[in-house]
Amino acid sequence: MKAIWPLAVITFKEGIRNRAIYGIFLLALLLFAANFLICGMIMQEVGKVAVDIALSAVSFSGLLLVLFVGINLLAKDLDRRTIYMVLARPISRGQYIWGKFVGMTLLIFTAVASLGGCALLSIGSVRFAFPNYFPRFAWEPVLWALALIALMLVLLAALSFLFASFTTSSFVTLVLTVVSYFIGHGVSAIKALVEAPEAVGIEVSAATVRLVKAAYYMFPNLSLFDIKIQAAHNLEIPWTYLAGTIAYGLVYTIMIVFLAGLIFSRREFP
Amino acid sequence: MRRVAVGVLLLICLGMAHVFLLENTSRAQRVLPQPQDSGYVLPGPLLRLIAGEFRGLAADIYFLKGLVTFGRTLEQRVEDAEKEQVWQQVFALLDAATDLDPYFFDPYYFANASLSRNPAMVPKINTMLEKGLYLRDWDWMLPFYLGFNHFYYLQDNVKASEYLMLGAQRPNAMPLLTTLAARLAYKGNRTENAIGFLRGILSKTEDEKTRELYQTRLEALEKIFYLERAVAYHLEQFGDEPKDLQALVRRGVIPEIPADPYGGSFFIADDGSIQSTSDLVYAKDGK
Repeated sequence: MKAIWPLAVITFKEGIRNRAIYGIFLLALLLFAANFLICGMIMQEVGKVAVDIALSAVSFSGLLLVLFVGINLLAKDLDRRTIYMVLARPISRGQYIWGKFVGMTLLIFTAVASLGGCALLSIGSVRFAFPNYFPRFAWEPVLWALALIALMLVLLAALSFLFASFTTSSFVTLVLTVVSYFIGHGVSAIKALVEAPEAVGIEVSAATVRLVKAAYYMFPNLSLFDIKIQAAHNLEIPWTYLAGTIAYGLVYTIMIVFLAGLIFSRREFP
Repeated sequence: MRRVAVGVLLLICLGMAHVFLLENTSRAQRVLPQPQDSGYVLPGPLLRLIAGEFRGLAADIYFLKGLVTFGRTLEQRVEDAEKEQVWQQVFALLDAATDLDPYFFDPYYFANASLSRNPAMVPKINTMLEKGLYLRDWDWMLPFYLGFNHFYYLQDNVKASEYLMLGAQRPNAMPLLTTLAARLAYKGNRTENAIGFLRGILSKTEDEKTRELYQTRLEALEKIFYLERAVAYHLEQFGDEPKDLQALVRRGVIPEIPADPYGGSFFIADDGSIQSTSDLVYAKDGK
């Protein structure tokens, strides 16, 4: 832990200093401002739309942060060969990966906390403007939705670390992470589709079913972390679901970072 | 200094050229043959897959697209044939919005309010409303819309009363819903249903004024049901239907004809059902 913490702090500072972060925050602020405009066009459930937009803005900005700031934090060391300087220090490669990952996690939590704060402010101000159109609104599910977004982003960052541990260019890492994101969000729906193809009138071969099932267990099920609709309508979210999803996120993330450390320590640098 | 002046001049010329070209090319673009917007909307399951974690947001966007498309028919003079096409398109957009987020009330509200003006669309609207009927189990508006559509456009009193009964049991439902449901159930020859439903609602009603209202209706329906059974008994015993209610008394089936709590008097209608001259509403001068 002693070796990991300084590295985590450096990584966090490096991430915060990145210029791209300003762009991402500016985009988020624009979306929060747009919340007001769009909500003015809604007839009845203004509250639902306000929560939708605010949470989607946090999730989307967080995604950009992981893809364009997060990936660079590790890949830049590899691209620019500054990794040699780090590895010359008395620190194992596994510790290096964990240090970077802890720094990245700090960055994600800070970003989601501040974006989330803006999101809550934006929802609050829309509510202030249209108080009669928030019939089923509660803050608690919105906060849970924000927490799960943060966890989803950490998981995605872990995946990007795994890809960076064996690829030679940061672009390949970016592409693989984006692909995993899409698969992660669609895989459970596709699995349900191929398991009951008669519902939509398609035919699916046995090989496809096996392939989809393999993908289901290999890729993270990111749709578990998406409770935006439930938060927007204040639907009941059982605590067993929340606990299960958090445990799943933690286990998968630790497994992936551990794997990334293993691969990275066996990697040969030119 | 001269170089700066030339630079500024060049910039102004380029700016003016930009505005000129933009205007002209845009005008030329207007006469360009355009592909017709067929208004095709992707099917719901596919949309859900594509939208991923932004399903709720996508539903909002489809709803707004529906609003804008409908707005076009109000703004411009649209031929009837085209109007029909636009309405189908608006329906497809709103239907997609409810596929993406079936809990979202606005598309249901807007579809019902604007598209039901075209009676041919009503069955489709009803299918759409059904999507949210049981998911939004706190909402009495959707069953109310369905009940109204069945009563008004489809003339199906029995179905209408079923929806209204469902709506009346939901929290904060308009008190009128109960009366309407019971009235329609009675009109659809479902007196027994109407009685059971009113009893259920009465047990949950605390407001004295509302209770009184339901109590009167319950009393009237119970009396009607009593007379219906008497008519059935008459048919069973004497092999023919009584000509009027007096016949029931004359033949000893019932001791007397009960009084209508609404102030009217009961009679046997041409279709064989028991009705009252009050039509189960209070006379205008109170009681």
